[in-house]
Amino acid sequence: MATNAHRLITTRIKAQIQPGSANVVVRPDGISQTLPGQGGVVTGIGLGDVASRWTGDHVEPGVSLGHADPAANHAIRLLSCVGNVVTVLDGPTTGARGTVFGKHGAVLAMFAPNTVARLAPGESVAIDAQGVGLALEEVPELVIHSCSPALFDAMVRLDQGRLRVGVAAILPSIAAAAGIGMPAAMFNMDLHSWSAPVAQAAAPLRFGDIVAVLDQDHRYGRQHRPGWAMVGIVSHGTAIGGGHGLGLMTLMTAPASRFEFTVTDGARLDRLLQLPWGAAA
Amino acid sequence: MTRLRTNAADLVMANIAGRVAPARIHAEAMAVDNDGRQRLLPGTGGIALGVHAGDPADRWVADHLMAGASIEDTAGTPAVAGPLHLLSAIGNRVRDGMGHTIGVVAGKRGGLAPGFWAPQLVGVEISDAVAGRLMPEDRVVVETVGRGLRLLDYYEIALSNVSPRLLDALPLVETATGLQCVVCHTVPAELAGAGLGQDSWIGDLEITDTAAVPGLRFGDLVAFENIDSTVTRYYAPGTVSIGIVSHGPGHASGHGIGVTILATGPASRLQPVIGDGGLGPQLVAWATETGAPE
Repeated sequence: MATNAHRLITTRIKAQIQPGSANVVVRPDGISQTLPGQGGVVTGIGLGDVASRWTGDHVEPGVSLGHADPAANHAIRLLSCVGNVVTVLDGPTTGARGTVFGKHGAVLAMFAPNTVARLAPGESVAIDAQGVGLALEEVPELVIHSCSPALFDAMVRLDQGRLRVGVAAILPSIAAAAGIGMPAAMFNMDLHSWSAPVAQAAAPLRFGDIVAVLDQDHRYGRQHRPGWAMVGIVSHGTAIGGGHGLGLMTLMTAPASRFEFTVTDGARLDRLLQLPWGAAA
Repeated sequence: MTRLRTNAADLVMANIAGRVAPARIHAEAMAVDNDGRQRLLPGTGGIALGVHAGDPADRWVADHLMAGASIEDTAGTPAVAGPLHLLSAIGNRVRDGMGHTIGVVAGKRGGLAPGFWAPQLVGVEISDAVAGRLMPEDRVVVETVGRGLRLLDYYEIALSNVSPRLLDALPLVETATGLQCVVCHTVPAELAGAGLGQDSWIGDLEITDTAAVPGLRFGDLVAFENIDSTVTRYYAPGTVSIGIVSHGPGHASGHGIGVTILATGPASRLQPVIGDGGLGPQLVAWATETGAPE
């Protein structure tokens, strides 16, 4: 495929592992619960694990990355792309390599399980950020966000002007919840993963799954638009508040006529990319 | 109009101080509209001179415009909804620092990601005479009442942002099966945009396709089908959320005309019917009255 990947720059960004949170959330039935929330270092959950089974609220498996300087943090949020290599710079796992796999408020990265187990908030990493500006000459309507050239090449096949993409699920537009109206190149879009008909399709989704949502236009911000589609990656776990659920981060968007989606078991990051710690399933 | 049994007599009234918000341009907001065009329009904060409840919501070349004055909490940051925002209900009287009535709470704006993403504003309908002397950053006091308001015979229906006098003014009719409310439009859940997932008392839920709701005015009632707002606003088949038009079109992706939620419940109990569900004249009348507080 004729992407412009050879013209993209790689920016080395330094980031810190963010503190964890305890989220106090009122559920739609009025019950208030306090659960492990976003941020911190979440051990024991990896790419490929079912995302909705964990008792948390917006849980981000692996590590969550940010920066104390707001402008530097903005750069981390915008420039990091799924598939970018992350290297630990200090602490007991110095030199360990992982990968960016999603975004929420922070940028989310995963390492080998025994590395995650030894990481801690406050430690520093380097992200070799590459992907912003990625475009495909033959499909000018396609807009790509937060996607490394390596993931794009592994995920997309160009066939007579159409983009063939394997996905774990194809969801209707009503799946879109909190995150609508936010910039598509940052954060993510929660799914109505508790409400029918989305709940059934969302139940088996795993962290790192590639998912399509129809009638969504994510060129600039995230919005409902008939005739478009978005493709994203499952980034954070479920959430208990109404209008919150599994977090799907935008990877690309185009008119639906440009896509040909096939539901396949292999549409997951840990199968699409050789992970930097050599543990691809 | 039916007089419904409520707990209004038992509600706490609290005077909460705040200020007229300065006009702001938030640098983190998307700089382009939903078709990629450069987007920089007035509408956030300050005082919109000559814009009133009952005016067409899409008349003005503006973004997220609220009629009259936009007010806010003084403690914290513009991203945080404080007690003024959380306790204000539509129909609450607003006075200036000298104690003179200046207007009435008419809507809210915000709720995209409160605590994290600005702004969180309360819209106040004011007369042109008041607008002529009111200044950004002026101290204001809201005579808040409405938190906790319940319909004693309709426990499945939850109210938000409703003052007792607004409840009395709503076009509600008791039927054999529930409560009917006259609205100007019904909106399918797919068109519910920014504001999903957030507290029903904060800001608004936006209708992302302005063309689908022609003729809407500030102060009009609309119903979102299959949206529940008992606690937060989200997609829930079989429910309905009724609200009041609080701001004009926002032009960024996923944004549109703002609706502050007033009532929600099962569609079997809360039944929108299309008609002239416009409260603009009532809000204007309240804003200009000088009588005793409710």
